[in-house]
Parts: sequence; structure tokens; C-alpha cells
Amino acid sequence: MADRPLPQLPPLPDEETRTLEQAVPPPDPPRAAPPRRRPRPDGDDGPPRKLASAGHALVVCVLALVIGLVLNAPGAHKNAYNKPAGWQRDVALALTGPLAGVSHALLLDRPRKGVQAAVGRSGIDDIDTDLGLPPTTVATTTPATTVPRATTKKPRAGTPTPKKPAFSPKKKLRIWVAGDSLVITPGYAIVRAAGSSPAMEPVGTVDGRVATGLSRPDVFNWFDEIRRQVKELHPKVVVLAFGGNDDKAYMTGLPDGASVGDFGSWAWRREYGRRVGGVMDTINRAGAFAVWIGLPQTSSQDQTARFDVVNAVAEKQARKRPGRAAYVDTYTMFAGDDGGFAQYLPDGSGRLEKVRADDGVHFERAGGDMIARVVLKELNKVFDLTSWRNKQTA
Amino acid sequence: MLFPTATFAIFFLIVLPLSWLTMPWPHRWRPFMIAASYVFYSWWDWRFVLLLAGCTIWNQMLAVRIWRTTDRARRKGLLFLALAGNLGLLGYFKYYDFFVSSTDNMAAIVGYDLPLSLKAIVLPVGISFFTFMAISYVVDAYRGEFEPTTLEKFAVYLSFFPHLVAGPIVRPSELIPQIEKPRDPRRVDTSRAFYLIATGLFKKVVIANYLASSIVDQVFAAPGQHSSLEILIAVYAYAVQIYADFSGYTDIAIGIALLLGFSFPQNFDSPYAAVSVQDFWRRWHMTLSRWLRDYVYIPLGGNRKGTVLTYRNLMLTMLIGGLWHGAAWTFVVWGGLHGVALAGERWWHGRRAAPARPLAGWPRWRARILTFHFVCFAWIFFRSDSFGSAWDMIEGLFTGWGEPSPLVTSGVLLAIAVGIGSQYLPARLPRVVMARFSRLPVLAQATVLALALMVTSVLGPEGVAPFIYFQF
Repeated sequence: MADRPLPQLPPLPDEETRTLEQAVPPPDPPRAAPPRRRPRPDGDDGPPRKLASAGHALVVCVLALVIGLVLNAPGAHKNAYNKPAGWQRDVALALTGPLAGVSHALLLDRPRKGVQAAVGRSGIDDIDTDLGLPPTTVATTTPATTVPRATTKKPRAGTPTPKKPAFSPKKKLRIWVAGDSLVITPGYAIVRAAGSSPAMEPVGTVDGRVATGLSRPDVFNWFDEIRRQVKELHPKVVVLAFGGNDDKAYMTGLPDGASVGDFGSWAWRREYGRRVGGVMDTINRAGAFAVWIGLPQTSSQDQTARFDVVNAVAEKQARKRPGRAAYVDTYTMFAGDDGGFAQYLPDGSGRLEKVRADDGVHFERAGGDMIARVVLKELNKVFDLTSWRNKQTA
Repeated sequence: MLFPTATFAIFFLIVLPLSWLTMPWPHRWRPFMIAASYVFYSWWDWRFVLLLAGCTIWNQMLAVRIWRTTDRARRKGLLFLALAGNLGLLGYFKYYDFFVSSTDNMAAIVGYDLPLSLKAIVLPVGISFFTFMAISYVVDAYRGEFEPTTLEKFAVYLSFFPHLVAGPIVRPSELIPQIEKPRDPRRVDTSRAFYLIATGLFKKVVIANYLASSIVDQVFAAPGQHSSLEILIAVYAYAVQIYADFSGYTDIAIGIALLLGFSFPQNFDSPYAAVSVQDFWRRWHMTLSRWLRDYVYIPLGGNRKGTVLTYRNLMLTMLIGGLWHGAAWTFVVWGGLHGVALAGERWWHGRRAAPARPLAGWPRWRARILTFHFVCFAWIFFRSDSFGSAWDMIEGLFTGWGEPSPLVTSGVLLAIAVGIGSQYLPARLPRVVMARFSRLPVLAQATVLALALMVTSVLGPEGVAPFIYFQF
């Protein structure tokens, strides 16, 4: 291919001779050859465009948004439904509800449905708040789990310790991670740590979904997702982190007319506990062990106080399921010297590492690694992940 | 307030008519636009507005004094003060913790325990952009290239909401003359504006978000768990993601400014069609490139002080450019790699005595492939959150061939192909599309835009992901 002259664009940083001291800019340097460059989209080449008036711009904007709203009415209605409780949600629902009805009646929602079907995303506008949980807590039911129940009492001297299920490179411990945005960084740290162990195997992807939780199945139905994924992936351990978006009074998926009152009220704790317990039981019924990562303290004291309430509910549910679920406390793990929020913490060698993100809530990679170490320690308490080495040596 | 949200749509539908209605009376329009921009900015945190207002007053005060002062030493002192204020602001909010933790760690290596305390400082959105624009205002006044304007006009220049949070970095001489003169409401380039907004939304919401959630985030988070093919495709995907994300944002910003009657400079020009690293920097984030050239490279001496100092100046400019992107050593290495490449190309040109051709003697297609792969390699450091993770990515490129690659799907490959292929489309095509669109009746234009909105909404993942460049 023959060489063509290159575009004569303003150079960086080259061929410049001006200095800061020069008050007057120099004239443009002479060009060696006329520019033979690819015409740019904003250049003067191509057919001329018709300029319009500002009024035209406004009318097109308004009409495009109105038509777009009608065409996208089912999606807009779902977005309105998913908003946090408050007047904005009420207004949005009052507007999009009838609009979705009109759009459907006039068949104007068909193009959206057609595109959805074409790209395999049918059903994304459906609002599903069915938890699929029994109405009362299932803490007393016995799951058909292969994981032995651990005892909280210390075994008496002479009593044989229950044998831990053993895993090896041939029979790996399958681990799946899921939760809200707070699970993403620790989740990948767990994937890295588990992936480097011959007896463990991360399965699926880290299913971390921003702005979701157990309070709002309308935003994302985790109950369905977990049920589906444990069936598909067959994990033996499911690591979860929820609650970062659940520190609010509003819940969907409640029976008609039911209310949980204020955030942290008795009714709220009971309902949230039912959901946490329900998720753990779903996992246990699939024969897997649940590891629940608690919420850390954050840079906001109010938020930390709310997270304490969520943590208390989750920890209680994990305690109700000894040998089937474990709770990992991250509150103290990320405390600074004064016991409060710390963005940087010293690592093993005393070197300061940034463990929390700038938003004061999420984790940095080093913070994720800290959580992964504790999670793996928990797993080593429940599962035998090392005896295969002895057998190999023997 | 993010561009692709209903909140911004409502905000803009209020601002657009009011802006044009007040336009004939600049003494009304300017306070209105400052108020609108401050409302836009306060949506993140109202305290940021105080910072922006403080930055405006500080730079205006010093720029005017610099302009009026004839004493050279005094002018220099005032310039120093202005730069210290701007860089101090940037340094405190963006680099304080980075500096303290780096110093502390280095001191710990040699056995010292420094009594330095870290602060969890919230980074104000867009601070890197508006401080750079403020610096260009005072430096241009110092150089005598641009006479400082009134406080009101400067406040509009600095806070004008289309460019406020992620650029493009507009120079005073480009925007302030437009602010001084009412725009003509009969001559608005609506077809280009709508084209840029629609394609920008598609690039951001569909291409960038899809690639991020489908492969990039997963592979960069745990490279050891992925095959070499997945890592390679993830690197290509990130190259497309960051292009689609950032150029999508600036396309929307330029389109919104056009609807308000203002013209911004172009920020991207098919960067992955570049035939050399120098050419890449003429096409990638063009307004930052020229800012670095005019306010860092040239003041350092440019290429006027001999070969060795030219290489030094190139390196320093690119290292500063790297650090501008984020307070981490990985960004510095990214900038350093580009500095080395630019210096290398310069050396190559000198050797071949063919300064006009970045990779003299190479066919263009080979130069393009080489440049693209160098840029992709450097992106690994840019995207990785640590050197360990960057090294895992590089190592993984060679050690896991033949392993299953479930993340390499046809959707991912298609999105990468669209992202790169679009940069090789004939440049005439968008102009033809815009020209045809401009001749459609109002209702047809609105319907086309509504359909584009619908397709973007269906194809994009749920939720609104923040723009990558917001963190810079």
C-alpha cells in the first residue's frame, strides 16, 4: 500500500517554539504542503445543512420527548415504580401509569416490544414483586442440605468432631457470589482467592447489581434470581451482601394493605428478617452454605446507624442457621484507630492502603481482599479444603 | 445531574426556552445562565458551588490585575499566585491523600514513621476541567493573548453547564466572544446538535455500558480467572468502552451547547484510526492535548532547547497528563508510556529524516495496527487499580490460551467492531445524514429522535452508569 501524506493536525507537543514570556502569539507557521486530510464531520464538505430557529429546536425537543415517552411508556412506568418512595415516585407513577395504558391501547408500545423481542430482552418491563417465600419465617424447616450442621457448643472431651465435607482438586468447592453493589469488589477478591486455591472453584460471574436489595423486588427480584442461579450453577457456597440499599422504610412485595411502618420498627425487622431468612433457606435447600457479608461502617454516621439495624437482622438470621449460614462482620474490620470510619488502613507490613472508595461506602481492592481473607477463613471452618494435600503426600 | 436522565431532560426543557428568551438582553441572560449552571452543578453537592464561585472570583481578580500591571516581575508574581491557587485547589481535593499515603509509604521503607494524617476528601465533580480552564484564562491574560472580561462573563465561561463536569476544555478565546455577543436564534445548527446527542447517547448507554458490564469489569477485576482470549478481548473492549463513554459524553455536551447557540471545539477525531502515537494525541481528547501543549510543553521549552531537553519535556508533559487523570501511580505509568512512545517516534523520525511521517517507511495499515495495540497496552495500566492487577492482565495474555472463554460472545465482538469500525466510516456519511435530517418536517424529526431514544433505551443496560471521565 502506498504511503499517503499524514493529516496536518495541530501537533502535540511538537514543533512549537513559543514561550510563556512571549506576549504576542507568533504567526501560523508556513505549511509545507496543502493539507490532504480526511474531511471532518464538522468541516465544510458534504451537502449543506439547513439551519433552523431556536423555536424549531424547542418544538422538536418537546415533541421527541413526548413521542419517546409514549413509545417507551412501559419502561418509563417501570422506572417510575422503581423510584425511591416519595412524592417524585407518586408523581411519576401518576403520569406514567395512564400513559402506559394509552400507549398499549394505541399499540404504540409494539415497536418497543418488537425491538425487545429481536434482541432477546422481552419481559424487561415487567414488574415482578413476588418473593416466592412462605408467609412466615422458615427458620424451623430443615433444609435438604448436604452441609452438616455445626454446633455452637464446644464438643465435650472425647466426643468426635463432626467430619467436615472435604473438597479437593478433583471435587472442587463451587462458590457463587451475589448481592448489591457492595458485593462487587469483595466478590472479585473472593473469586481471585478461590481461583488460586486448587480445591475451590468460582462459578458464574460475580452477580453484583447496583441499587438493588431485598426491600425492592420490583427494582430487581433477587428471590427469583437466587432461586434460578443456585439451580443452574449448583454452588456449594453462596456469598451474599445485601442491605446497602435496604436502609429505608419502603418495601414492595408486601401483601395488599400490609405495611412495615418506619425503618427499624418491629414490623420492618420482622419482614426484613423473613426476606433474609428466605434467601438463606433457598440457598440451603439447594444444598449450599450461605455466607452473609455484613455492612461496613461508612463515612456518614446516620448511614452507619441505619446499617447497624440491617446488620442486626442479618446476623440474627445467620445465627438461627448454625452450620448452614455464617455472618461476616465487616464493621470492626474497617474501623480506624479511633473505632470510626477509616479510608486507609495499614496492611500486614504496616504500609497504608486505601481500603474504602471515595464515596465513603464502597470498598477499594485492598478492602475487598481483607473481606475475602475472612470469608475464606469461615469456609475453612466449615469445609475441609486441605486434607487432600496430606493424601497426595502420602 | 447526568445527561442521560429524566431529571436533566426536565432541566434542559426549562433552560432552553428561557435561555433563548433572555438572550437578546445579555444583562439578563448571563445571570440566568450562571444560576442555571450552578443549579446543575449543585445537583451533586451544593458545597461544590461555593468552590466553583471561589475559583471564579480568585482567577478573575488575578487575571485583571495581571492584565493591568506593566511591571514584569509583579505580573510574574501574580501569575504564580494564580497558578498556586488553582493547583493548590486541585492538589488538595484530588491529590492530598495520594501524596500523603505515597510519602508515608516511602518513609516507612527507610524506617521513618511520619506524623501525616489522611483525610477522606470528596472529589468535586469536574474540578480538573474547570481549574484547567481557569488556568488558561489567567495564563492567556499574562501572555497578553486575551484581555480579561467582566466577572459575570467569566463566571458564565467557567460554569457553563454543557462543559462544566467533563469538558471539552474550551479556551477563553473560543467561548467568551460567543458569550459577549447574543447568539442568532434564527440560525441554530439543530440537525448537528440532534445527531451528536443521539449518537452520543447510543455510544454511552449502549456500547460503553454493555461492554463494561459484559466483559471489561469482570476481566479487569480478576484477570487470573480468565483465559488469554478473554483478557485480550477485554483490553480491546476497554479501549472501545472508554472511547464510547468519553466521546459520547462530549458529543452530548457539544450538541446541547449547539442547541443553546454555542459552538464548542471538537474533542475526538477517530482516535483508533491514528497512524502514530503523536497522531493519536491529535485525535484523542483534543482539547486536553492542546492544553498540555500550550500550558505545559511550551512553557517547559518545547523543542527549542535541544534533543535531550525535548525528550524531557515530552516525558514531563505526558507524566503530568497521566497524573491529571487520577491520583494513582498507574496513571503516571500510563502517561509515561505515552511519553516514551512520543519520544521514541521523534527519535525514529530524526533517524529517518522524515519528520512529516510519524512512522516513516511503514504502510498505513501496519502503523494503525501498531499504534492501536500500543494504545491498548497502555490502557491496561490506565484501567487497572494496581500494578499487581496490571501485571496479572499482561501475564494472562500469554498463559491461558485454549481455555474456555464464555465472556467472548458475539454481542461483545459486535460492540467492539461497531466501536472501532465507526472510526473508519467515510467522514461524509454523518454530514449526509445530518443534511437529510435537517430537511425533514418537524414531526418527522421528532419521531426519528424518539425512535432513536427508544432503541437506546431498550438496548442499554438498566440504570444509569456514571461517565468514566467524571472521576478525573
